[in-house]
Amino acid sequence: MFRFWKRANIGTAHEEIEPRKNSVLSLDALKLLLANMHDAEIIERQTNVDQKVTLLYIRTLIDQERLNDTIVKPLNHCTYDTVYECIQNSKVFAVATLEEAVKLLLQGSVLIYDAFRNHWWAVLLANPLSRAIESSETETIIYGPKDSFSEQLDQNITMIRRRIPITELKTEQYTVGYLSKTSIVLMYIDGLTNPEFVSIARDKLSNIDFDLILESSNLTAFMDDHMHSVFPQYLQTDRPDACAYSLGLGKLLFLVDNTPFAIVAPITFFHLFQSPEDYINRWIVASFFRCIRYVSFLISVVLIPVYVALATHHYQMIPLQILFVLLESRSKLPFTPFWEAFLMLITLEIIKEASLRMPSKSGQTLGVIGGIVIGQAAVEAGFASKVLIVLVGISSIASFLVPNYLVTKSNTIIQFVFLVLSSFLGMIGIAIGMIGVLAHLNALSSLKQPYFAPVAPFYWKDWIDTFIRGPLAWMKARPESLYPLDKLRYKRRR
Amino acid sequence: MRQIKRALLGGLLSAILLITGCSPFVENNTIEEIAPVIFWFIKDGGEGKLNISTLVPPLIKEKKRLLSKNVELLKQGGKEFNLVYYRELKNGQLRMILINEELAKKGILSMIDTLLNDPNISQRLYVAIVDGNFSDYINSQLSQQANLDYFLYRMFKHYEDKHQGEMSIVNLHQFKNKLYTPFSDPILPVFKVDKNNFTYQGTAFFRHDKLIGKINKIDDEILQLINNDHYLKLLPLPELSVSIDHVRGNTYMKLNQDYSSLSFIVHLSGRIDEYRGNKNLHDYEDFLALNHEINAFLKKHTVDLLKKMQEWKVDPLEVGKHTLRPFKKSMSEKEWSNYWSKMNINVEYQIDLDPLKNMNQ
Repeated sequence: MFRFWKRANIGTAHEEIEPRKNSVLSLDALKLLLANMHDAEIIERQTNVDQKVTLLYIRTLIDQERLNDTIVKPLNHCTYDTVYECIQNSKVFAVATLEEAVKLLLQGSVLIYDAFRNHWWAVLLANPLSRAIESSETETIIYGPKDSFSEQLDQNITMIRRRIPITELKTEQYTVGYLSKTSIVLMYIDGLTNPEFVSIARDKLSNIDFDLILESSNLTAFMDDHMHSVFPQYLQTDRPDACAYSLGLGKLLFLVDNTPFAIVAPITFFHLFQSPEDYINRWIVASFFRCIRYVSFLISVVLIPVYVALATHHYQMIPLQILFVLLESRSKLPFTPFWEAFLMLITLEIIKEASLRMPSKSGQTLGVIGGIVIGQAAVEAGFASKVLIVLVGISSIASFLVPNYLVTKSNTIIQFVFLVLSSFLGMIGIAIGMIGVLAHLNALSSLKQPYFAPVAPFYWKDWIDTFIRGPLAWMKARPESLYPLDKLRYKRRR
Repeated sequence: MRQIKRALLGGLLSAILLITGCSPFVENNTIEEIAPVIFWFIKDGGEGKLNISTLVPPLIKEKKRLLSKNVELLKQGGKEFNLVYYRELKNGQLRMILINEELAKKGILSMIDTLLNDPNISQRLYVAIVDGNFSDYINSQLSQQANLDYFLYRMFKHYEDKHQGEMSIVNLHQFKNKLYTPFSDPILPVFKVDKNNFTYQGTAFFRHDKLIGKINKIDDEILQLINNDHYLKLLPLPELSVSIDHVRGNTYMKLNQDYSSLSFIVHLSGRIDEYRGNKNLHDYEDFLALNHEINAFLKKHTVDLLKKMQEWKVDPLEVGKHTLRPFKKSMSEKEWSNYWSKMNINVEYQIDLDPLKNMNQ
């Protein structure tokens, strides 16, 4: 109705190209599919026994040296009757359909066409574009293993397998995204992980129908039980030790090709506050710092809203000593507490976002400018009170104590909601917000399992590793909330 | 179905808010727009009126002035202050109520009830009796001391915390409890005030809501030991040339069957801190003699204090509670008052004092 012009419908849609792959496997069909691909190469070779061989491959996906060593040179000096016998490679597959041929081609295989016998072979010569194994940047720890996942799927699986060298560690491969053809590997320990979780995960992976799944966050977006929640329902980590530990408890692991972040599921809200370092520190120390994280999360969410609530509605609740300071600092401000807090938080978020986008060398400058703008200048200009500056600093730092980066980002949204509630209803608003958040957390699920366990539903045995991190020797049972098939973590009863 | 659920939840939430009195139409309490007053000084305004004074602005570094109003009602005064000051005066931070002695003698029940009924006013409000005109003191000190009201509050708070045992600091909650509890009479601290000084004088005894009498000096210190905090950091006894440090008193009361006599036993422990008398405290006999003197001195003054209480028919020590028995009807307050005023009181002190120095020196 409102389209004033219509583009000429030129070109062929993807849906129309797709059926071509179902046609008969032939050189012409493949040439048609590889048209306009500058890195696709089709080479014809003659063997010693005068057999014509056609090699098809995508140059950018294969290891050229191995192509020469295992296919080209052997073919040149080949005295065998068949091409298959000439190839010096263990990964040689016979190819029957065009679809299979294309799939292998795009995975980094060289297709070999034996025209004399009309046989198609594929040799996997994928060029592993990988970086060295580095230490984790998102979850750094002082003691403990330093390795982290890379973009190489096989390498990531290796890291897990080295930690859990048992045949019960199962891996199931899925391909998602009709454009990206991303390989997803589902890992779990057979005989330990609840089969219900595995079947839910299989269903979820099978039902993904999208063009591009480029990294693990894309995958979680399609596997989320509640897509509109601000809370992450899957744990993303690049630490193989944390993944191995999760598998050992009876959780599942999703490894996504070309992504250094694995997905752990099912998780609970409390998993977001656990750090690998918890299991390295002494249990009392680890418990203390875990409690500090919970408190920090609460502070980061409610500290500024409480300030707004008290300064707007409940002056009676402020201790006189603090009221003295507060009246002094707010006496000449042009903004109400809500707008003052709102503007400062928005400014802080702008600076935070800018520091992420800026080149690292400019980061320091930004820090200085941000510090001066948010700190001294805002106070001296009379836009913000000294008290609020202190509170913004505390709440901002507190938000970074949560090990999960996604929660840190979610904090901001919750904080703004609480800010609005506190400005309208004061402490009652914050209480309503709290009830809302708790109700929401209670309603969430991760891989169809309750997100707020072991608090609701209540599993008292799991509390040993929830708010505190009890001694490892006391953690004799796997979390009840995961319903593992093998409940105990030791073999011989002590 | 979902709409019905949402409507029900919305209705339930609104109901919860309205039931608890949390109306979204809240009054403006933005702190830079209001002036939360810290104290009210109330005296008799004549012809049944009250004279209320307060200091504005509270806590801000601006020129301060004392506002006074003659009003029929306490809350009327609070409202009329707003007409003479550019910020709305709020009483949610009221921390001290200073009542003139003459007004206290007439009765303060209506004022106490008014304060108790106000949900904005905290029950941790300090109540004190002032002997003199507090307004004159404030006016004379305005130019000399900034935030005088705040430091007065800090003084009250300091002596209330940790039971410092120097002053009988009483808050509204404690006063109300004593006022409305059977066999109990409230007490309040008394401050002597003139143009230049605001001095702690002692403790005022109330019979119900009327000031009946005051005690000071040694009587007040004994009251601290036997009732209020059971602790005195220092108990100087100039008559005996001795001062006792870190004094703790534990009181035991026992009534006989027909309520004709009361055994009043005080366990007192402490340390002799200073002695300027003629005795040689290295000598055990002399030390014992001093103990006896202290014992006799405290006993005499305690008897005098208890006799005053009997004479005024007040029972701040809650002796009457010892008449209560399970499955037995309690007597009326009037009945108890009669018993109390005629009762024989036997006071006994059991003193355990550490000597000034090593006795074997």
